[in-house]
Amino acid sequence: MIDDTFDEFFDPNGEIRHDVRLVVSALDALGRDEFRARMRLAEATFLRGGITFSVYGDEQGADRVFPFDLIPRTIGAAEWATLARGLEQRVRALDAFLNDIYHRQRIVRARVIPRWLVEGASGWVRQARGVMPPGGRYIHIAGIDLVRQPDGEFAVLEDNVRTPSGVSYVLENRAVMKRVFPRIFRNARVQPVDEYPMRLRDALLSVAPSRRRPRVVILTPGIFNSAYFEHAFLARRMGCELVQGADLFVDHDRVFVKTTRGPMPVEVIYRRVDDAFLDPTVFRPDSLLGVPGLWRAYAAGNVTLANAIGNGVADDKAVYPYVPKMIKYYLGEEPLLRQVETFICARKGHRSHVLEHMAKLVVKATDAAGGYGMLIGPQATKAERRAMAARIGDNPRGYIAQPLLELSTCPAWIRNSMAPRRVDLRPYVVSGKDTWVLPGGLTRVALRRGSYVVNSSQGGGSKDTWVLGGTSA
Amino acid sequence: MIARVAEQCFWMARYLERVENTARQIQVNVSFLLDADLPELTHWRPMLLVAGELDHFVARFGEPAADRGDRVQDYMVWDDQNPVSLQTSLRSARDNARTIRETISLEMWVGLNSFWLWFHDREAQQIFRRDPHAFYEEIRETCGHLAGTTQDTMLHDEAFDFMRLGTLLERAGQVCRMLDIKYHALGPTSQLPESPAEAAQWLAILRSCSASEAFFKRMSVSPRGPVVAGFLLFEPDFPRSVMHCLTRAWHFMRRIRPSDSLIGQRSTTLMQNLLRTLRATSIERMLERGLHLELDRIVSRVAEISEAIALDYFSPETPIRSESA
Repeated sequence: MIDDTFDEFFDPNGEIRHDVRLVVSALDALGRDEFRARMRLAEATFLRGGITFSVYGDEQGADRVFPFDLIPRTIGAAEWATLARGLEQRVRALDAFLNDIYHRQRIVRARVIPRWLVEGASGWVRQARGVMPPGGRYIHIAGIDLVRQPDGEFAVLEDNVRTPSGVSYVLENRAVMKRVFPRIFRNARVQPVDEYPMRLRDALLSVAPSRRRPRVVILTPGIFNSAYFEHAFLARRMGCELVQGADLFVDHDRVFVKTTRGPMPVEVIYRRVDDAFLDPTVFRPDSLLGVPGLWRAYAAGNVTLANAIGNGVADDKAVYPYVPKMIKYYLGEEPLLRQVETFICARKGHRSHVLEHMAKLVVKATDAAGGYGMLIGPQATKAERRAMAARIGDNPRGYIAQPLLELSTCPAWIRNSMAPRRVDLRPYVVSGKDTWVLPGGLTRVALRRGSYVVNSSQGGGSKDTWVLGGTSA
Repeated sequence: MIARVAEQCFWMARYLERVENTARQIQVNVSFLLDADLPELTHWRPMLLVAGELDHFVARFGEPAADRGDRVQDYMVWDDQNPVSLQTSLRSARDNARTIRETISLEMWVGLNSFWLWFHDREAQQIFRRDPHAFYEEIRETCGHLAGTTQDTMLHDEAFDFMRLGTLLERAGQVCRMLDIKYHALGPTSQLPESPAEAAQWLAILRSCSASEAFFKRMSVSPRGPVVAGFLLFEPDFPRSVMHCLTRAWHFMRRIRPSDSLIGQRSTTLMQNLLRTLRATSIERMLERGLHLELDRIVSRVAEISEAIALDYFSPETPIRSESA
């Protein structure tokens, strides 16, 4: 165990936690050789299935298997129920915020959150003011990153309400685990995750612009996108078509897909293309991934885009500290999930604190995701910190800082034995007319010893996440 | 279905068919040399000709290499600058499959992906060096499995129809090209009986088309030039004859083409004309007119049909048609 962290399997006395007892003893009973054999089976399954991600700049054999750790991360039923309520509450508040900020802006006028902070977000899309997405829904798919703190409480690390990825690994990991550990799996009564694609499709259909049989498509940037596997996976499992920008066109503010029988109307687009690339006539003119005229079709209410355009203002890291206030303001409720203390560099007082204590803080770009543009103060060199200080000086709105968090640990299989490795958790929240939380989510694990970085590009892997005590398995 | 996806289904199937064809041709060549105890000379060059790669090959490796089995095999199997090598065709098939992963069945994807992984594995290289026959056999078997998996796991919808169409057009073209080159390499035989070497060569042509068993079941004569050519062109029940391939392709074209619409008119008309021409002729008539010219004409008509399919279905004009406005 690592000192001063929470371990998912063992309590501070080294005793196995109650919730995971069954799983640990079943794994233990397998023995080392058998475990190794099943590990090989899992790896072969991933490779054969092409369950891979691309690494940019790697031409030959561009796909790699996402490293997978066979020891499941487990969460008790009661604890999960509390978490799910908190997640649902949070997404409800963020959706209300987007609705408000692109229309009446009551929260700004009530001075709960400053206007400059909102409209200064790089994800703010001024054209989206006054445009109501079909069904009034902004956040159809949210991925909320959580970490467990040393006292055992979960805290939100960041929100992802633009194009959160990773859910395909949750489903594939589960399929592999069922195959590799059939008996353990059955006995543990793990809550199922398989219904995600159907839930997502139902949610999207529930907010389609009124039509009899709406056509749903998934818009992908193409096979060179690192998450292409996921786009194809979801299309297959949702039974909808996977399209690229050039497959679509807009005529009289309606979207059509080019088919072998001529153009056919499209009503719902689950787009995995960023806002800036969606429509070259309105956003980035050099984008080849988007569809000219899509914006007008959207603004006319003729197409549902999931997620909505302009959501980046809600998962901006400098807006994040205000989410508890949003929950109180819009819902009149107390926030159920904890947050992490955050310093906003755009605020003078905060900025000087950040510059002074950078060696103890983690500095993040406000509009980035996936660990990009991040500086881990305690591990950075003096020169790196100086460079970051300069960047903050140039663009204070672009950065925030947080204390270095102790992620919880979970046993992982490292070179033939178990060793504690840091993990986080990304649950997924799907909303149309109603909201549904996928039981569990993606557990990412920093497989390198001592590492805090769980991103796959930097030695991170994933684990299956078992929410125990489900009604069916 | 989405036009681009239809195009990729069509091409994925074509590339896979090409993989199988190429592997079979090389395999037959390898064993033919053993059977007939012939010098390597003159038996590898036609393969490059069929593939349309003789000029490129000679430019890169020189004239003498074209008669060397090892050099030609390396080129036809592993060379990634060769547009019709097994490596290139398999990669193209897999790239297309990857882009239409949501369309093909999971079983097909896993099968094709595993094939690709195997081909790039050291094991495949070792088999190739140690036992070429087994190497080509493995490839052909895998292609057979994939064809069966496609048939049995894909929804038999438009995507499937486009795949079949791709397979059949590719196959028809390949059979014509092979027949053309071999026939001319041997020359039309008039005197009987043929020498043992000639007989062996006709048998090899049948084998290159997986046709020898079918031939002996259907025909009671020995495999001589005109009979073999006639069988490969016209036997309606043989799944690799040109007539069979085109008749089946026509079946799938009719399935694809929407009724009461102008869509698909170009390709339909061309195919109808070609079938009419073929039904009105015979191997004797074709030999009279010169087999090379006749085969060449079929190959270019098949290519025209492919182009017409692309125009009809893969690059539809964007103006809205009345029914969808």
